[in-house]
Amino acid sequence: MVKNKIDWPYLILFLMGASVILITVGIIQTLLVETLGFFSEVAESRGWFNIEWDISGIFSNDGFGCLIIFSCLILELIFSKEKQLTSNFPSFLVNVNNKIKIIISLFLLLFLFFLESFWIGVSLICLTLIVYRISIIKDVYLRGAEEKAVWIRPFFLFCGLSALLASITSGFGGALGEFFFQTEWLPSASCPDRRSLCESMSFGVNGLLLTTMQVAFGALIIAIPLGVGTAVYLSEFASPRIVAIVKPTLEILAGIPSVVYGFFALIYIGPLVVELGNIFYENGWIDAAPSVLNPLNGAIVVGIMVLPLIASLSEDALRAVPNELREGSHALGATKIETTTNVMIPASLSGILASIILALSRAVGETMAVTLAVGTMAAFTANMFLPAQTMTAYIAQRVGGDLPFGEIGYYTIFAVGMYLFVITLSLNLLGNKILEAYREAY
Amino acid sequence: MVNLSDIPLKSRRMRDLIEKFGYLGLGSSALIGLLFLCILVWQILAPTVINGVEGEISAVNEYIPETEFILEWDNPNWDPVTEEFLTNEIILELKWKDENGSHSYNLEIKILEERYIEGEVYVSNLGISNNIVNVSKKTHLSIYSNLEYPVEIKQIKGPVPKADEVGLPEAGNFVVTADFHILFDDENKSVFTVQDLFAWSLLLIITLIIIYPKEGILQVIERGGEQKKLIWGISILFSLISLFGENIGFKDSGWKGYIVILIWISIVRSVFAIRDGVKRLKKANKPLSNKTALSQSISNREGLLLGNYFLLFFGLWTIPIEIDAPFLVERYQNIFQPYSSGIRAAFFGTIWVMSIAMVVSLPVSVGAAIYLEEYAKPTRLTKLIQALVTNLAGVPSIVFGMFGLAIFVKEGGFGWGLGQTVIAGGLTMGVMAMPIVVLASQEALRSVPKSIREAAFGIGCTKWKVVRDHVLPFAIPGILTGSILAMSRIMGEAAPLIVVGAASVIYFDPEPFAAFTGSKFVNFTVVPVQIYQWTGLEGDAWKSMTAAASLALIMLLVGMNSIAIILRQHFRKRLLS
Repeated sequence: MVKNKIDWPYLILFLMGASVILITVGIIQTLLVETLGFFSEVAESRGWFNIEWDISGIFSNDGFGCLIIFSCLILELIFSKEKQLTSNFPSFLVNVNNKIKIIISLFLLLFLFFLESFWIGVSLICLTLIVYRISIIKDVYLRGAEEKAVWIRPFFLFCGLSALLASITSGFGGALGEFFFQTEWLPSASCPDRRSLCESMSFGVNGLLLTTMQVAFGALIIAIPLGVGTAVYLSEFASPRIVAIVKPTLEILAGIPSVVYGFFALIYIGPLVVELGNIFYENGWIDAAPSVLNPLNGAIVVGIMVLPLIASLSEDALRAVPNELREGSHALGATKIETTTNVMIPASLSGILASIILALSRAVGETMAVTLAVGTMAAFTANMFLPAQTMTAYIAQRVGGDLPFGEIGYYTIFAVGMYLFVITLSLNLLGNKILEAYREAY
Repeated sequence: MVNLSDIPLKSRRMRDLIEKFGYLGLGSSALIGLLFLCILVWQILAPTVINGVEGEISAVNEYIPETEFILEWDNPNWDPVTEEFLTNEIILELKWKDENGSHSYNLEIKILEERYIEGEVYVSNLGISNNIVNVSKKTHLSIYSNLEYPVEIKQIKGPVPKADEVGLPEAGNFVVTADFHILFDDENKSVFTVQDLFAWSLLLIITLIIIYPKEGILQVIERGGEQKKLIWGISILFSLISLFGENIGFKDSGWKGYIVILIWISIVRSVFAIRDGVKRLKKANKPLSNKTALSQSISNREGLLLGNYFLLFFGLWTIPIEIDAPFLVERYQNIFQPYSSGIRAAFFGTIWVMSIAMVVSLPVSVGAAIYLEEYAKPTRLTKLIQALVTNLAGVPSIVFGMFGLAIFVKEGGFGWGLGQTVIAGGLTMGVMAMPIVVLASQEALRSVPKSIREAAFGIGCTKWKVVRDHVLPFAIPGILTGSILAMSRIMGEAAPLIVVGAASVIYFDPEPFAAFTGSKFVNFTVVPVQIYQWTGLEGDAWKSMTAAASLALIMLLVGMNSIAIILRQHFRKRLLS
């Protein structure tokens, strides 16, 4: 009888594989413990959570946005039940052509990034959705088919309630309320005793989050057209010789360290952005003179950084589409461009989407370039020409000096890091999930 | 066939547009890369030519009344005998003569541990402003005088300083980047040793013969190759000359001698390989003029060529071309004199951090990849590990830095208490590199054909034997390439090391194991952190230095990436053939 021996190679290799779990648990545990330390320290003097109500806020911008969202919800309910109505609905509202869609989206961008009312922007998104939905419902009704969008009502309800809550609350307090809902980030105010908290400190992380999102989405606006365009060109049009030249170029571009990109932004992009800002300032569109360090500068440089990522991942997605689809489209008489826009891009849309999400996650987590380009002064402002600070830049700047363990400054970086970790991890999970599902499809 | 005129005009225009757009995307990527290099080079050159040095000297003249002495010690408190830093005082004697007779004062200089303390002493008719002055390591002591008479400064205790009247470098004598000396240096002296150049040229010729074989030369090599003992003897003789040439009247090649030995070994191997190949051809009665037959008959031709290329490349930088790179490997940072600064501490810090990171992460990562690809059954645990690896690769680098700060640096709680040392930085980087290396290794293992595994199982190998003897040899090139790429990626990362505590100003080489030896010099820095710190400094001179450091870093990374790409293509060719 063969003795049941221990399979040593298996055991050792398994332990090596399991070390990944150990590292993840270590990261989460570290962040969690120190973040809890932060919150409990703040809660000692300020309590955990409290809300101040202010009913008159219903007449503010947020209240207006809330009104629009709820009317969208009501419209949706009416039109999906009474199909008869849709056929009588004015056709200019129903058949929205592409140009109007583009104009509406540009307005959305304006509201989201340059004006300070977030919920009006969201309500405009809802409005676009409902107009689009109504046109679909009408279409479907005429054809006699059934179309459902399960997510749309809960989404509207959630947005509406959030907007309502945002409009009728005037302030949040306590450790959690201050961190997640207030907008002033002032953790290094001078206090008589360096170790302890005082009233002049404030920990509203939204001051950092807004800048982070401005930089990340601004980067995507630059990187998506160029990146996806490059990918489409490389996989559909380019000759193998060009591909052989361009791919290594993209790899090299991806390999330049981020601190060098930051230096590039500081000496080259920053002054250009200031000149642009001066035009804005002279015309009175912004009310403060632009600075060399600003989120727009960061957005441009991060956009350049994530371009290779989007290009290579999207190209992989386009190449993974089976050749039969392409040939089938050609056989039906479609031109190359029709094949690209009508067959290839829809077929690889999930892969392209995943690449965009992963690029967003990279842009949110980018540190050195942003630290050098955006500045080191936390500010909650929609004006993208003024110096601000992102979450990662705060961590890098705060630990740049000697950071004694156990001080409140030490705890704040872990609280910010935890938030950052949660955001990027969920984006990564989403992106990888899409990629996986899409790999299974073909 | 579709006629072009049949295609509707609209879609043709669209196609043109998209093609143009694609070109735009490509062009912008390439242009951005080019722009980078141009701006960096311009940054290095521009300030030094236009307004670098002159502006600074005039600034000095503005504030300093008449004469300034800046005393500079290489290592004011370094004792070369005991190799220890001293904190003993240095005593200077200041003497001058005026109408009232001669004056003499003793100035005591104390070296402190704190940073950024500069000393200033004023000499006037009344005497010297203070008798004792405190300065920190590697900083400056300025002695300002408004006397009309020259002051004689003499050191009577402690190490001897290099004194300079102005203290700033002259326009001509600073070196920002590497100097290249091809065959001859500035003073027209040869920078190579004859025997080294001979070996290098011989290797070049042999390599060219392997690539472009000619019948006549091959006949000669075949005949000469019979003299095995003679060839070995000559190569050993020349190797010995390169190593110990000084004793027998030749110039010593120093550490380059080791490269020369490798070159000689390569030459001998190549000669024998060619000889065997020619013999084989003759046995088969094939003509020597057939190039493909010849290149196939030389055994392991690709491997030989690869080795020769590497040796030729590395030899190029040391034998015919001498690189003189004080910026990279000689100078420390000098916070007061941008143009005489260098990144020596950061450079060696980077090398140490990378080495530790690789030693820590490589075995574990490859093991994890083997487990996931070869051993793991598709259980829930395996899926979890796979998902974690994929997602860890996308976690921001700064989060890894905070992990390192809380686990490796901090003392107490879960912390290991290593302090802000090289080893803590290396471990952090190792953890960061791990998911990347795992993913690359998995990719490499996945590309090994299934038939190889099945064949090995078929002759009764155990799983571990299959992996060790059949799968790994095929996958190692891919693993190697992935590891080099991962290494070059984490080499450019500054964020985690800033969090772990890479210091900004370092005047000594990093000590990798300072955490365990109890040495006082625990701090370290790396090149990206140095760049980050220099961008924060004022002045055009620092911008130019930052650009120089960036260029050095990019060159390092591009070099490593090209090695990875060459390796990948070489092995891909071998696998396909």
